[in-house]
Amino acid sequence: MLAHYLDLSVRSFKRTPMTTLLMIIAIALGIGVTMTSLSVYHMMSMDPMPHKSSKLFHPQLNTRDQGVNWWTQDDLPHQLTYIDAKNLYQADIPALKTPSVKTGYSVHLNDDQIKPFMETVRLIDNDFFTMFDMRFIYGGPWSDESDNSGELVTVISAELNDILFGGENSVGKQVFFDKVAFRIVGVFDDFDYHVKFYDLTNGAFNQNEQVFIPFSLIEPLEVNNWGNTNGWKYEDIRSFQDKLNSELVWLQFWVQLDSPEEVTSYKNFLTNYLTEQATLGRFERQDVHFDLKNVMQWLDYNNVVTEDNRVVVGLSFLFLAVCVANIVGLLLGKFLKRVPEVGVRRALGASKRQVFMQHLVEVSLLGLIGGTLGIAIAQLGLWGVRSTYSYYDALATMDLSMFLAAPLIAILACIIAGLYPAWLVCNTNPAYCLKTQ
Amino acid sequence: MLTMQNVSKVYTTEKVQTHALRDFNLEVNEGEFIAVTGPSGSGKTTFLNIAGMLETYSSGQYLLDGIDIGRLSDNQRADLRNQKIGFIFQGFNLIPDLNIFENVEVPLRYRGIKSAERKARVMECLEQVGLGSRLKHLPQQLSGGQQQRVAIARALAGRPRFLLADEPTGNLDSLMARQVMELLEKINQEGATIIMVTHDPELARRAPRNIQVVDGQIADFSLYQKQLAGTEPAVAEV
Repeated sequence: MLAHYLDLSVRSFKRTPMTTLLMIIAIALGIGVTMTSLSVYHMMSMDPMPHKSSKLFHPQLNTRDQGVNWWTQDDLPHQLTYIDAKNLYQADIPALKTPSVKTGYSVHLNDDQIKPFMETVRLIDNDFFTMFDMRFIYGGPWSDESDNSGELVTVISAELNDILFGGENSVGKQVFFDKVAFRIVGVFDDFDYHVKFYDLTNGAFNQNEQVFIPFSLIEPLEVNNWGNTNGWKYEDIRSFQDKLNSELVWLQFWVQLDSPEEVTSYKNFLTNYLTEQATLGRFERQDVHFDLKNVMQWLDYNNVVTEDNRVVVGLSFLFLAVCVANIVGLLLGKFLKRVPEVGVRRALGASKRQVFMQHLVEVSLLGLIGGTLGIAIAQLGLWGVRSTYSYYDALATMDLSMFLAAPLIAILACIIAGLYPAWLVCNTNPAYCLKTQ
Repeated sequence: MLTMQNVSKVYTTEKVQTHALRDFNLEVNEGEFIAVTGPSGSGKTTFLNIAGMLETYSSGQYLLDGIDIGRLSDNQRADLRNQKIGFIFQGFNLIPDLNIFENVEVPLRYRGIKSAERKARVMECLEQVGLGSRLKHLPQQLSGGQQQRVAIARALAGRPRFLLADEPTGNLDSLMARQVMELLEKINQEGATIIMVTHDPELARRAPRNIQVVDGQIADFSLYQKQLAGTEPAVAEV
């Protein structure tokens, strides 16, 4: 019967082409607007590492005196001091872990072929590559020995490799960051994380770094961070060493804990660590205050998806509702005109359910067509968003789930629009229908 | 086969109650050809709609092949209608978007009959009414008489035990009307039970059994004639 209903739907569309076109345009516009905002929201709020996000944790430590408040909801700083980052990094904990901080250099090859350009650079431990599932197209991560010795090695992105070396295998070649020559040990495939969750301090959706170097270079190269630095008390910082020894927070830290037992164990470690730091006289606190947030908790805590984003999605659904209301009106006119035919069908043995289904199939087909057209409109909308704000480059796209959701939402919207008109038609007394023939 | 006992139909609005049928009693046997006559507004079509389960009744009992129609749900009535009843309307009521073949096919689709059997039955019925060569024509491309023959083929396609015809010749000229009547007689001879509402006395006379409906009741024919002549005011039940 479904094929028959579809055939009847197509005939119905042909019979009233203008009404059909109006309804398709209405649902397409509604879906186009809705999917534009929903796609951005979806990309913003989706789990960047679904298989691992519950195992990667960012610690927050309260190393301030009692009574000194932070501005965060839980009174914890977002970042760590160098002292804490280094101590957590060097702790004898059998887990993948990495401190992390962003800086930037002028990148060049010390020749006249490539004009130097500024690039952000991230200092990390080589565990970072494993923890964040980075894929290499040439070479691989630097060794633990390089991490420990502060060797001048680097891993660059495929995109940067294209610019510097025309995409050739550049492993073993030299690249200059400012005046310092680094040996390339690996070229990683481009990040496909839409949200820069490992460092949210300068915006969740900024471009990921193209260059990584060992964290152990931070001291010999006196690397200053390109990011937020916050303090809570006056400190006379005159040198880089002063900064390293200060209570300024400016580094991120991630640890991979694969089981609840490991999480418990790590929390115990943090408790002991903070107790020890207080004992050493670094700060005066009666309580031990810290938190350990996984990736999704971290995104939520940092309000990556703002209330504004939710409001925009809500407004777009309201627009869809207006479109649906218009479609209800058009369908009422269209379906009620068909009452005599429905009477004939009922006289010939069609049940109310069959008449109802026939009309729902018709509106579903309408939704499918409108939804497909809506995808095209949404693409146009997302292109507009990308063109206006480069910040949204990775966000203003539709992934497979959104491509599938668009026609489904359109069909659902049309079914909702068609319920009342279809119910009205199928409940009309067939004898009355025949009288109006 | 078809029994109505004290069937009444009352249309109620805020201000007025209209009795379309009052204590309507009728027994129809298998293979009968009954002509139903009566003045406009007398309840003929209401009777036909109730017989065809297109309308419910207010009181009384209606049995079709022993099944109490009053106890059936709407879907059950639709199913029974599809299985046992064929309709022929004055205005043909063909679906304009569907060609002749598809129009005749409609009741068979609702019965869930498979495509090959549907095709065979449609062809058989259209051949029976002499329109086997017009399968792809749309209703509006046919004359009135041809359209009514398509409607008859559609009514026959489900091999119903009852054919309910409401003024089947009302929109046809006399030649076409005669042809349609001959077709109905042939169908009746082949075993179908036919109840035909008509205003045409000539057609009514050709039916073996006549009933007259006046004021929602079956009237005595002779009495009815007298009423028409204005010499007898009363209405009596048969």
